[in-house]
Amino acid sequence: MTIFETRALTKRYGSVAALDDFSIEVQPGVIGLVGANGAGKSTLVKLLLGLIEPTAGAASVLGYDIRREGSHLRQYVGYMPEHDCLPLDMSAVEFVAHMCQMSGLPRAAARERTAETLRHVGLFEERYRAMSGYSTGMRQRAKLAQALVHDPSIVFLDEPTNGLDPGGRDEMLDLIRRTGHGLGISIVMATHLLSEIERVCDQLIVIDAGRLQHYGPLAEFTEATQFLTVEVTADPEPVAAALRRRGLTCAVEGHHISVRVDDGSAPYDLIRDTVVDLRVGLVRMSRRRHTLEDLFSVRQAQASEPVTAREAAS
Amino acid sequence: MVSTPGRAAPSNIYDLGYRHYEGLRLGRRHAMFVLYLESLRGAFGLGRGAAAKVAPAALIFIAAIPALIQLLVSALFPGEAEVFAHHDYYRVISFVLGLYCAAVAPDIAGRDQRNRSLTLYFSRAIERTDYAIAKLAAMASAMLLITLGPQLLLLVANGLVAEDFSTHLRDNWHLLFPIAGSALVGSALIASMGIAIASQTSRRAFATVGIIVAFIVPTAVARILVVGIDTSATHYGVFVSPLDVLGGLSSWMFRQPTPRGGAVAVAGFEGWTYLVVAIVVTAVASLLVLRRYWSVRA
Repeated sequence: MTIFETRALTKRYGSVAALDDFSIEVQPGVIGLVGANGAGKSTLVKLLLGLIEPTAGAASVLGYDIRREGSHLRQYVGYMPEHDCLPLDMSAVEFVAHMCQMSGLPRAAARERTAETLRHVGLFEERYRAMSGYSTGMRQRAKLAQALVHDPSIVFLDEPTNGLDPGGRDEMLDLIRRTGHGLGISIVMATHLLSEIERVCDQLIVIDAGRLQHYGPLAEFTEATQFLTVEVTADPEPVAAALRRRGLTCAVEGHHISVRVDDGSAPYDLIRDTVVDLRVGLVRMSRRRHTLEDLFSVRQAQASEPVTAREAAS
Repeated sequence: MVSTPGRAAPSNIYDLGYRHYEGLRLGRRHAMFVLYLESLRGAFGLGRGAAAKVAPAALIFIAAIPALIQLLVSALFPGEAEVFAHHDYYRVISFVLGLYCAAVAPDIAGRDQRNRSLTLYFSRAIERTDYAIAKLAAMASAMLLITLGPQLLLLVANGLVAEDFSTHLRDNWHLLFPIAGSALVGSALIASMGIAIASQTSRRAFATVGIIVAFIVPTAVARILVVGIDTSATHYGVFVSPLDVLGGLSSWMFRQPTPRGGAVAVAGFEGWTYLVVAIVVTAVASLLVLRRYWSVRA
């Protein structure tokens, strides 16, 4: 079962292709949609919601064709835009209930679900206040509430942590994780912040210049490396020297020691015994994993190579 | 004092968290109706602060003043003549109609653009066409309150002037058709023009000024062309003024002569031509509204 699929989906603005021959079949889950600004993330989301018409190609969300069954499909889809979109003179309870009814739910059910949803996003106590008095974090929560209130099967979140301070960002990401993993609602989260993807998502779509670069489980991107990270309570240099004397290849990186694992079996016992012999405390010993930052650094370096080569040639 | 627990009342644990919804989803028509109702409520400031209620309420009251004067006259001087007639009512309150449209239309058509919440509506269970139709319907309904309401009040007031109220109503029940007809056509005309202008901008001030200009300036232009220049060619200028079109339409529907010296009387066109012009203008303005919402960025 797929939550959405596209076949050669294309959106052009004049000669510029915002989305170009984009084909994908996406499985349920919490999906990160990542790419640089202008890569085509918001265009893809707007096409899937029927907010803009595709130039070519086809797409379906939850099995409904986006061109022919748009209004029916949107009863089961939630959307939280990046920009401010709240009528600030209304209270959260009034606005969210109205939006719930706009998704086809009867009035009584809408009122009931509004209270539940505002409790879920942490706005229950403030629900009767005009939203003009809300902080940025509260407004983001109200936006999330209107996207969730009608019990959608899939929710599109466009830069949901935009404008939030670190504390607010943590809370929002926690809320998204609870919604996606706890309630079983599929979430597509468009963002350019890789750290957020790592914290929340289990799948990743990488989009660049309107084209699909990669789609797959997040684990594929963050697989284990051939290095162990060892952290000790004392100066790492003597520990690293001792490990080298015992035949391990290692290097000190700041406060950590990076130990190469050649044959696949990690030398945990040897490292532990070495550290104990030196009467040093062992804080952490773990397999290092790729981060999305590593992946994108490599991609950006690859992308810039031909330019560098041309510059060198000239 | 120590409380002693008696027989424990049966207790329940309620899960107040987010739950999935298995009930009915009523679809596009329901969503359209909800949008219509919310837009209509918003037009009168319902669910908003007190300031939002002042202008529409004040203008509705002003529009009803002639009918209230008629009520007062009938109370003080029973059996005396009519002060205000049905066919002339819209001429008397014509500028109030324009001001009311200028106060209400920017709220109905421009509010979602100002708040940038069009995106939220277009990602709901409606199409863009549904949105435009709901807004037009809400505005037309809001206009009915100020067109139909005072006319019905006047019917009652004129009945009180008569010696016997029930006899008056029985003799004048046929007035209900032109009252309803002129109110419906006039409301549709003014509402479609108001929404067509207000939907072009998210700025309330621009929309308000635009609507006032669209109703007042053509009235002056029509008067200059028809009464001032007064040639058979310039007589067609009466059709540029929506308020004169409404006046001509109203006189024709009530089968009464138009006031002497006015642009409609001088132009001398058949009454049905005003109905045709009103329908054409309403249709064109409605198409402009649809076109606007088909193309507006969400």
